[in-house]
Amino acid sequence: MNFVVPDFYPAAAEIFVAVMALVIMLAGAFARSVRWLAYTLTQLTLVGAALITIFVPSVDVSYTFSGMFVSDLFGNVLKLLIYLAVGVALLYGRGYLADRRMERPEYYLLAVLMTLGMMVMVSANHLLTLYIGLEMMSLALYGMTAFDRDSVRSTEAAMKYFVLGALASGLLLYGMSMIYGATGALDFVSIKDALYFQTANKTVLLFGLVFLMAGIAFKLGVVPFHMWVPDVYQGAPTAVTLLIASAPKLAAFAMTMRLLVFALFELAEQWQAMLMFLAVLSIILGNLAAIAQSNIKRMLAYSGISHMGFMLLGLVAGVVSGETHNAITAYSAAMFYAVAYVLMSLASFGMVLLLARAGFEAEEIDDFKGLNKRSPWFAAMMMIVMFSMAGIPFFIGFFAKLAVLQSVVAAGYVWLAVLAVVMSVIGAFYYLRVVKVMYFDAPADDAPIHAPAEMRVMMSVNGLSIAALGLMPQGLTYLCWIALLASLT
Amino acid sequence: MSLALIVILPFLGAMLPALMIRAGRNACALATGTATLLAFALLLVHAPAVVLRGEVVQAGWQWLPGLGLNVNFFLDGLGFLFATLILGIGLLIIIYARFYLAKEDPMGSFYSYLLLFQGAMVGIVLSDNILLLLVFWELTSLSSFLLIGYWKHLPEGRQGARMALTVTGAGGLAMIAGMLLLGHIAGSYDLSVILQHGEAIRESELYLPALVLILAGCFTKSAQFPFHFWLPHAMAAPTPVSAYLHSATMVKAGLFLMARMWPVLAGTEAWFYLVATAGLLTMVIGAFIALFKDDLKGLLAYSTVSHLGLVTMLFGFGTPMAAVAGVFHIINHATFKAALFMNAGIVDHEAGTRDIRRLGGLVFLMPISATLATLAAASMAGLPLLNGFLSKEMMLHEAAHTAWAGQGWLVPLLATVGALFSVAYSFRYILHVYFGRRRDDYPHPPHDPPAGMWLPPALLVVLVVLIGLFPETMAGTLVRATAAAVIGGPVPDFHLSIWHGFTPALGMSAVAVAVGLLLILSYPRVRALWQAGPHPEAKAMFDATLGGALALAQRFTHGLHNGSLQRYLAFAVAAMVLAGFVAFSGAPHEAGTRALLPMQPVAVVAWVLLLGGCMLTVVFFRKRLLSVLVVGTVGLIVCVAFIYLSAPDLALTQISVEVTTVILILLALYFLPKESPVSSTVRAQPLRHLRDALLALAAGGGMAAVSWAMMTRDGVSLSDYYLENSVSGGGGTNVVNVILVDFRGFDTFGEIIVLGIAALAIFALLDGALHGRVGRRLSAWTPDLPVSVDRHPIIMVVATRVMLPLALLVGAYIFLRGHNQPGGGFIAALVVSIALIMQYMASGFAWAAQRVRVKYHAMIGGGVLVAVATGVGAMVLDRPFLTSAFTHVHLPVVGEFELASAMAFDAGVFLTVVGAVMLALANLSRMGRWTAHRPVNKMAMDVDPSAAPYREHH
Repeated sequence: MNFVVPDFYPAAAEIFVAVMALVIMLAGAFARSVRWLAYTLTQLTLVGAALITIFVPSVDVSYTFSGMFVSDLFGNVLKLLIYLAVGVALLYGRGYLADRRMERPEYYLLAVLMTLGMMVMVSANHLLTLYIGLEMMSLALYGMTAFDRDSVRSTEAAMKYFVLGALASGLLLYGMSMIYGATGALDFVSIKDALYFQTANKTVLLFGLVFLMAGIAFKLGVVPFHMWVPDVYQGAPTAVTLLIASAPKLAAFAMTMRLLVFALFELAEQWQAMLMFLAVLSIILGNLAAIAQSNIKRMLAYSGISHMGFMLLGLVAGVVSGETHNAITAYSAAMFYAVAYVLMSLASFGMVLLLARAGFEAEEIDDFKGLNKRSPWFAAMMMIVMFSMAGIPFFIGFFAKLAVLQSVVAAGYVWLAVLAVVMSVIGAFYYLRVVKVMYFDAPADDAPIHAPAEMRVMMSVNGLSIAALGLMPQGLTYLCWIALLASLT
Repeated sequence: MSLALIVILPFLGAMLPALMIRAGRNACALATGTATLLAFALLLVHAPAVVLRGEVVQAGWQWLPGLGLNVNFFLDGLGFLFATLILGIGLLIIIYARFYLAKEDPMGSFYSYLLLFQGAMVGIVLSDNILLLLVFWELTSLSSFLLIGYWKHLPEGRQGARMALTVTGAGGLAMIAGMLLLGHIAGSYDLSVILQHGEAIRESELYLPALVLILAGCFTKSAQFPFHFWLPHAMAAPTPVSAYLHSATMVKAGLFLMARMWPVLAGTEAWFYLVATAGLLTMVIGAFIALFKDDLKGLLAYSTVSHLGLVTMLFGFGTPMAAVAGVFHIINHATFKAALFMNAGIVDHEAGTRDIRRLGGLVFLMPISATLATLAAASMAGLPLLNGFLSKEMMLHEAAHTAWAGQGWLVPLLATVGALFSVAYSFRYILHVYFGRRRDDYPHPPHDPPAGMWLPPALLVVLVVLIGLFPETMAGTLVRATAAAVIGGPVPDFHLSIWHGFTPALGMSAVAVAVGLLLILSYPRVRALWQAGPHPEAKAMFDATLGGALALAQRFTHGLHNGSLQRYLAFAVAAMVLAGFVAFSGAPHEAGTRALLPMQPVAVVAWVLLLGGCMLTVVFFRKRLLSVLVVGTVGLIVCVAFIYLSAPDLALTQISVEVTTVILILLALYFLPKESPVSSTVRAQPLRHLRDALLALAAGGGMAAVSWAMMTRDGVSLSDYYLENSVSGGGGTNVVNVILVDFRGFDTFGEIIVLGIAALAIFALLDGALHGRVGRRLSAWTPDLPVSVDRHPIIMVVATRVMLPLALLVGAYIFLRGHNQPGGGFIAALVVSIALIMQYMASGFAWAAQRVRVKYHAMIGGGVLVAVATGVGAMVLDRPFLTSAFTHVHLPVVGEFELASAMAFDAGVFLTVVGAVMLALANLSRMGRWTAHRPVNKMAMDVDPSAAPYREHH
């Protein structure tokens, strides 16, 4: 059996990041005293990966590693966004970690490995590649959740995350094995062909799909596999929560797209029904439960559940009674929503990090009291984020919701749109409560806000970008659309 | 272009006050006023075309064509009327506020918010795209939130602001859904297109949901029953805000939208019953409550609610003439109500209170204000010669000809009741504030305000009188132009005049004035009657609703998320069972086609053992040691099954892995409690156990069923390929081994690296742990079970010593034959590792570690290097990485065997696996050693058979 050397170019970015992970590990082992080294190397890795992603792979869809790996515009756009999200999240989290003596090289090593896992997920064209990427990301995240080893809450959160995650992985694998059993293929193109020529056993496929869906739902954190989300968001150190709540959502979106759209598109009618179920439950539960929260991390966790449900609505609207002309628009609406959510998520958890200092977590909503008096600028930034999350016009969140809702209405699910809107009305309540607390309540503590200059600048850029993209979302909308168009057709 | 400029000017202007405030308060007000004045002037430029010639001015460009969102503006009669109100009254309010605001109030931000709001309002009335309209709509909610909460020191202000934002914001969001539906039906989000599809929209099956959702937005914004409660609480805002937002502009946005959508939505039964009924009820209820409000602004607030209800009702009637009356009343109400609000502000400002019970007799102290108030309030009461009279007559006339559910008397009666309350509270405003006895306990000595404060209302009162006297000249053209835009067709022929002859409307009006006067003259008795009745407080209800929602959410969340992992797992499993069931019920149910194999006794025995093992695990789940051992039997049965199904290679792997993991778990268990807590027993939580048992049965049964279904059907098998190509491609007959080292050599290469890294990580973690805080905790820990007296029993030591060379030989054998028969580097490595571990177990970690010359770290690295070398070797020979070559060698004694380059690769695998397993296991046992606090034993066993009895721990 001869071994064929694969074409490494399409995976150049992944290889670069993997090598850099080793470099960072060595740096962490041999140059521990140089505090900034691991962080700087990590950020450089992300920049380098971005440059490679932009310049090396060709624009066309290209497969490598015996069809296990694909490089296409969809994946590359998402990868670039992932680098951005991870980079920003690490920047926000740095001061927090340093205050708590947690800024160790291993943290950045795990972050790089997580990034690598996500990249593999995004570019997977094979069930096993996808699974390996997923596990790589998840294991790093479990480790990071427990990074504060002496905190009982963190350890417990990590334990729950791990046990539930293992269950979900098991379900996903089981589903994959059934898909394989039905189609005899592991790579997405062959699966798609098998489905297209209807050589697969439909019953087994359907079961496989159900189990796949459970795995997807867990990773996205949507009802009824959302149980880990609030506990982990609250329990993990805020810097890690920020990481969990941002880039992995993009990766999970990519995974959903790869599995459902790229591989199992022929089953769209079936999985759309399942997704609709997940989406409706998530939107309802997320919004209702968020009202009761007094911990802002937990509140944002529930809000995240509802946002992910909203995003899924875009995927529900792709195929209408066999017609697929709505598909690209609907999927790009979902993609836009995912990107918008990640931007808002970064900013909101970033604010929590900004207010936190040594010995003070700033994770209660009451800790935001009177923020306007302490720092009008950052209060305004937080207000932008909250308004955007609530879906109020002129911010990116509004257009994300609007685009998704339009595709839902165009698909004829009027009741779904109405329900989603009604639930966002309820959702607006708890976002606005934060605004009210910031502007109208007296501050409980007068400590000035300490944050490094780069964090202040980044936070401002992040907040303003939410507003700016709200005014001019065309560029991002077009990018999502063209990425899907180039990769799907 | 100039249309867009009208909208943009206030937004641009909003930046000015913040900049100009440093130049002084006058400059600030001037800058604000200039921005508004410019916009107003630009608007008036269009007046001849729009009002006189009935043209429609349009302008716009595309913003987000993909979403159907365009920045299109258009100006017709309706838009012109509202824009005039917004900008004209806005100008007056700006002047008034300059004098009203106290020195310590931050004026810059006030004017900024005000202009922001103004821009948003103008945006609403000029938008030609319903999505754009929505954007502006929400913006008014936001900017009004800032204005209402402007006095942050007042708790009512904050609460009022929050309530206003919650109610109007929620309505606005509901409206988004309505607008999306509307756009979906019409196929465009442009108003000018939608307005032409009235017929199609009314016939669409989505008409009702769209109508209800849009009306929800309108009713909340215009404070219509049952959403009327927020408006009075928003009155905590500074008076200029109340006058501007809550009488002249924002609350009229709802009316505007109803008017705008009138040609599309009106004329159906649903429209009539929803809109007219809400309007009628609001009119009567608002007027009734207003009569008993002691706060001047509260009285005006409810009066506003009532008048908005009146207009809503008129639009609800759905007849063109009613629409004309509605439009006319909008103009009239804006003039007299804004004047009255400013007047209330003057009273508050000068007399120091707005409480009617503490006022009276001001007419002598504030003659100018009194005159203005009397005229405006008389117009509100609907007395002749003032503009309020004219539109009220028209309303009564329409009401008199409207039947509600076939009852012709109902609407006229209620309309008259509303009118008479209106008369009563208007007179109360005049009589109880300005007339009556002069008091000497005013909080401030009252006097007329500076001209800047009374001139704006005076201007409005002049309009009130002029329109009242010369309606056709003053307002006829504007009303016609506006009505034409509302109706969207020919305007009915009408003439605005004071006298229409003796009509039923005049009679109703007379009754209203008479009874209203009577009510106010006997006010103390009426009030006593009212006080005896119940007073449902809307704010309390609102708070209770919110509180209830909060409590519900809390209970809901707690039920779902109490932090218990068991519950989460139960949810996840239950969801999966449900999903599986749904998939199952949707699938075809015929049985599989494969013939079943006959039942063998061995299989039955294995099956029973398997079941028994599982059951025992469940029964003994509290005794952890026992359950680990029982679970081990399950693994062994699986191993037997592999042998039975002719997969000896898998069986070897399985048994080695099984033994290794059980040893690993046992080692870990050494440090953990040996029993699970009492709280997890069946007796402690019978219900939870029942739930879990049912779930487990369902999930397990489901899995079994799916497996059954899979196995009774024919499927594609991958193994055929490997079976066919194993010898030809890889030179081996053991397919599993050939796959590992040849077909998937690269994967295996990756796997051994991972294994090595994992072992190093375990080592690093444990090593680090032993030196840190955890190490101290561990060293303070005492085992919870008695330690065996025989630490290193002689039998075990001797037995392991004998077994070591044998095991090594077996390992070598397994390794060598691996390529063709069951075996291979991986299994050989596990066998050797187990033999080595036994040495550690027999004589203790430290004793064995002192005698080990090989470094496991190096072994891992060496193994990887050997594997690499094999692969690179192929590259040196100009073949791709990891290419395999094989040849057959004949040795004298051994016989013929095959030598494949893959074997060297397998050796690498062997080394890495041994190194990894030993490193991990040996270090775990080192941890046990760490806690024992005993010296290292010198001898290999407790008893030295060659010497006198010796006990190591003495």
